[in-house]
Amino acid sequence: MAANNNMPSTLDKEQIFGMAEKEMEYRVELFNKYKESELNMGENSCIDRCVSKYWHVTNLVGQLLGSGPSGRPPM
Amino acid sequence: MMDKSIFGDLDSLAGEDKEKMSAMIGQLQARDSLRMYNALVERCFVDCVDTFYRRSLTKKEETCVRRCAEKFLRHSVLLGLSFAELNQGGTTTD
Repeated sequence: MAANNNMPSTLDKEQIFGMAEKEMEYRVELFNKYKESELNMGENSCIDRCVSKYWHVTNLVGQLLGSGPSGRPPM
Repeated sequence: MMDKSIFGDLDSLAGEDKEKMSAMIGQLQARDSLRMYNALVERCFVDCVDTFYRRSLTKKEETCVRRCAEKFLRHSVLLGLSFAELNQGGTTTD
């Protein structure tokens, strides 16, 4: 996904960071569940879907930023 | 959102200084773009997605995100223009 000819790799890095962040939140939640000995499968799959949706939004916004001529910051 | 005009006239600087300033501004702009991107994703996600029955976005959520992003971008453009105008010493009309 290239939003700008100059920095596709930087944007990809950001995406990866974003995903890593989400995954970390997910894992922390999971770990806390185990700690509390309250394995709620409903909540785990909910978090999984949340992460998945966040990823979809990230891609969608990336597309919109990439194709939109106006609103792009002057680089 | 960053705009080079907020730094006044770069041409008044000597060659090497000008290059340094340009490089710094370029970096700041890149960082600013990425921040905007992340803030936008976060904002639109929070505003538009509140159910997690499925892993994919619903049509309604997708439309919401598109509108959210477009509105945000329009806002950013206007904001940038206002700041540029202020920097020029102009006044924004009420």
